[in-house]
Amino acid sequence: MRPVDDQHGMEWDRCDRCREAMSAALDGEAAKDAAAEQAAVDAHLAGCPDCRAWQQDAAHVTAITRRARTGLATGGPDLVARVVDHAPGPRARWRGTAARAGLAAVGVAQATIGLVSLLGAVTHAHAMTDPLMVLGAGIAHATHESAAWNLALGVAFLAGALWSRHLAGLLPALGAFIAVLAVVSGLDLVAGRVDPARVATHLLLVAGFVLGLAVVRTVPRPGPGPTPGARWWRRDERGAPDGHAPAVADRWERESDVA
Amino acid sequence: MDDARITALALRARDGDRAAAGEFVAVTQQQVWRLLVHLADASVAEELAQETYERALGSLRRYRGDAPARSWLLSIARRVAADHLRRRARRPVSPATLAEDDRPLGHVSGADPAESVAVRHALAALDPDRREAFVLTQLLGLRYDEAASVAGCPIGTIRSRVARARADLVAALGEHPPSAERPHRSG
Ligand SMILES: [Zn+2]
Repeated sequence: MRPVDDQHGMEWDRCDRCREAMSAALDGEAAKDAAAEQAAVDAHLAGCPDCRAWQQDAAHVTAITRRARTGLATGGPDLVARVVDHAPGPRARWRGTAARAGLAAVGVAQATIGLVSLLGAVTHAHAMTDPLMVLGAGIAHATHESAAWNLALGVAFLAGALWSRHLAGLLPALGAFIAVLAVVSGLDLVAGRVDPARVATHLLLVAGFVLGLAVVRTVPRPGPGPTPGARWWRRDERGAPDGHAPAVADRWERESDVA
Repeated sequence: MDDARITALALRARDGDRAAAGEFVAVTQQQVWRLLVHLADASVAEELAQETYERALGSLRRYRGDAPARSWLLSIARRVAADHLRRRARRPVSPATLAEDDRPLGHVSGADPAESVAVRHALAALDPDRREAFVLTQLLGLRYDEAASVAGCPIGTIRSRVARARADLVAALGEHPPSAERPHRSG
């Protein structure tokens, strides 16, 4: 035979869980297995007058607080005039739009340069004799590669202007590319290995990088797809005595895990 | 006021629309103030509500619309209240904060004013976590999942805290108070 205290404890625990289920039902927050829970509650209530009384009291208390809720729609201070100046000003909107438009224009220009040099490289490829092979690529192929890369960056700028949340991922690679290109362009200019006009076209990349930074900073506009760093909700291990899964929180966690 | 509209206002405000920012404040300020009355107290709720909006509007640029703007705002209000209570805990308590304030909260139409005072006293006596869960779900009308995201805890925790707050209120206000020998469970 079990000690009386344990029986009492188990009985109380069962009452506790029954009352928790009844409380959630009062709020229209049924559990996932609502039918099974309701059956357990009904079975417990049939044999527990304390919980039957509690159900009535809880409904009464809920009615009182609901009445309070409807009466609580007014009474607070009006803060609009005091705080509205802390909101982002109209310049925020203008800056964001301007940065996007600029990035799109840079994207078009960059893609055009890539396309033109690709066409030029293709038409000249047959005439070339390729006396020089560097790391397995002739000059013609190296030209194709750089043209394809220029075209791809133009497309990336255009896409970034439209879907800014993908832009942030491009910027580290682009920054590294610009840094290396700046060093080798400087060396080539000094040695006379490149036309200054050709180097000047690289300034488009710098413009795209700066505008990309501005777009990322000013308009983190939500759109389809995961958002890096979206985990503003954090799993709290303090609670959850009964292992209820936080469905909504799981969804947010999954989004940021994918990102 | 539905969440989708509040979120849309917040996004427009973030992009520099001051009129939308004003409307965002106007449609949310009662709930923010209400929450702060219960998480802190009525004497500082106005000041804390202002601080909440200053923080929220100042960081609006980083709001990405991942969570409903109302939950985002209420979780800022919750942090403002927690910071206030931490600051106050370091100071000696002045007698003014302990004084009874018997103004009814808001205009409780169709209800016995004495009843609302009784409710308020019973709420003030609750454990802070339970009171927070109860105020979010019952007085502000948030769903359990929304309250969980504001409080930063799992839904199951909100569910049990609301139930325990109800049990405490039944004991304080109910017509059949539970028998005295019941063990009181904390949690
Ligand atoms: Zn029972």
